[in-house]
Amino acid sequence: MPITIAVALSGALLHGQAPSESQVKAVYLLNFARFTTWPQPEAAEPDEFDVCVLGSDPFGAVLDATFADETVGGKRVAARRIASPDAAGPCRVVFISATERPELPRILQTIQKGRALTVSDLPGFVDQGGMIEFVPEGRRVRFAVNVAAADRSGLLLSSELLRVALKVKTASKPRG
Amino acid sequence: MPRTHRPSIATKLTAMNTIISGTALLLASLAFGLYDRTTYRDNALRRLSVQAQIVASNSVSALAFDDPHAAETTLSALSAAPNVESAEIDAADGRPFAKYRRGPDDPGPARIAIPEGQAEAVRLDDQQMALTRQIVFQGKPTGSVSIRADVRDLIIRRNRYMEIIGTVLSASLVLAWLLSWLAQRSISRPLASLAAIARRVSSEKDYGARAELAGNTEEIVVLVDAFNDMLSQIQSRDQSLRTAQEALEERVRQRTAELDAVNKELEAFSYSVSHDLRAPLRHVTGFAGLLEAHAGAQLDDQGRRHLRTIGEAAKRMGQLIDDLLSFSRMGRGQLSRRNVSMAAIVEEARQEVMSAAEVADRSIEWQIGELPEVEGDPAMLRLVLINLLSNAVKYTAPRSPARIEVGSTLDASGDRVFFVKDNGVGFDMQYVHKLFGVFQRLHTSEEFEGTGIGLANVRRILHRHGGSVWAESAVDQGATFRFSLRIANPSV
Repeated sequence: MPITIAVALSGALLHGQAPSESQVKAVYLLNFARFTTWPQPEAAEPDEFDVCVLGSDPFGAVLDATFADETVGGKRVAARRIASPDAAGPCRVVFISATERPELPRILQTIQKGRALTVSDLPGFVDQGGMIEFVPEGRRVRFAVNVAAADRSGLLLSSELLRVALKVKTASKPRG
Repeated sequence: MPRTHRPSIATKLTAMNTIISGTALLLASLAFGLYDRTTYRDNALRRLSVQAQIVASNSVSALAFDDPHAAETTLSALSAAPNVESAEIDAADGRPFAKYRRGPDDPGPARIAIPEGQAEAVRLDDQQMALTRQIVFQGKPTGSVSIRADVRDLIIRRNRYMEIIGTVLSASLVLAWLLSWLAQRSISRPLASLAAIARRVSSEKDYGARAELAGNTEEIVVLVDAFNDMLSQIQSRDQSLRTAQEALEERVRQRTAELDAVNKELEAFSYSVSHDLRAPLRHVTGFAGLLEAHAGAQLDDQGRRHLRTIGEAAKRMGQLIDDLLSFSRMGRGQLSRRNVSMAAIVEEARQEVMSAAEVADRSIEWQIGELPEVEGDPAMLRLVLINLLSNAVKYTAPRSPARIEVGSTLDASGDRVFFVKDNGVGFDMQYVHKLFGVFQRLHTSEEFEGTGIGLANVRRILHRHGGSVWAESAVDQGATFRFSLRIANPSV
């Protein structure tokens, strides 16, 4: 969320420092959600908008600090840490930590049966079927998008989001 | 009547119509121009606002993911709008985020402060139109976009409108002038012809003239009719007046002729009577003389006194007859008018009066004032003065010194009036009407001698000059005789 960036930035600038990569990524997690349209829910929605971190958490306190007082679609944003992809049911956004690399295909298979938006900074994440991958570009953080993967989960990514993406993958290429 | 420099009704009507239609046209043009300007400006502002909204909604993700390049791509789409000079996007904290410039030297758009509770603010002046709009994402402001557009087309449009209005207005004024000039003729023409007729009637006294009935304006028709009616009335009155006057003149002529005839007869009669009276009178005098010479010695004193009385009475009768003759001559002789000096006449008369033996030992103070030249018969005027002065001398006999004043004044109507004033015995104003009658006397011959013809002659002479004589006095208070006659006016 830009205002958060702005707040974070201005806070950081006030203290004479640029926002950290973690801070930027935390904000981007929210903004991805804001440019995404979810299908109509089948059952009653939870009251909170859960953003989950699978595996070891690289954000730490930054995530909770960033999410404080933020909303998406009118719901308060809550940060949750989960240990297993099976626990991702209520999550709307799942950040898959780099520690989960060996298990990635299985994890994606499990999570993307549901309706969560999957994000990771694992290199090649979108090529392996993930939805959004953080790509460092110099001092900035950019991202690549796999529209086909999101599409399979019934998620609609805004063209605005695609416009600023570094790379957009529209259909999964055959392996090999 | 001299022509004046006042404008004619035609000029006035034309001018009025032209001014009215010109004013209406000018106001309409101004109103239309103002409306057009407002509409056009509002449209331009709306266009700019729409452009800002498009930029704003297309810059949301660029701001969200800190991608100035994407924002600049969005802004570059503004190059399709030829009036947009520059645009900039600022982040929420005011940090410049992305910019667009049409020309390399463009200073960029101004940031307009957005009032609380509004999404955008505009500023419009003679040089530019600037707009700043908030960029809102998910109900929160995430930055702002500022756009500056030039207003050259507004100014060009305004100038072109002025040119068109100027042309239309001048053409319309000319046309309005022409039309109103044509239209006003139905009113001004009959009035102008009426005025011309009125002018002719008053200057040439031509009451036979008639105003022509032109046009069908109610008031003008009534005016022309009434005017012609008035002229007819004046004409007929003039005619009857002239007829009456002619009749009157004819009657006067007749009467005058009759009077003249009677007068001549009368004068001839009195002349012949006086003349014929002299012959027997001469016999009376002559034979009374002869009788005295022949038989004077035989008569006693009483007889001689009777004889002397006969002689004196005859002599006095002769004097009366002479006066009567001179009086009738005064009425008949031609008047020879010329410029004469009144001062000279008064002096001559005074000397003549003073040469008489009986005034030699009198003490008389003369006061002769300033006397102008007059036009008249010198011999007759001399007679007037001799009469008046000798009267003055005569009736001041009991006074020592006698004071006689001769002078002239101007009366209320500016006519010259001469006067002879004395401090003599005067007379009772009760009998003033008898003063100028023939042989009328207010005193007896024993008191003051005279036949009573003098003032009658004075009056006759002055009447023949077109003047008059009058007197005022009181018993023992002296008398003042005044007379006037046509004055020699040097300017005529």
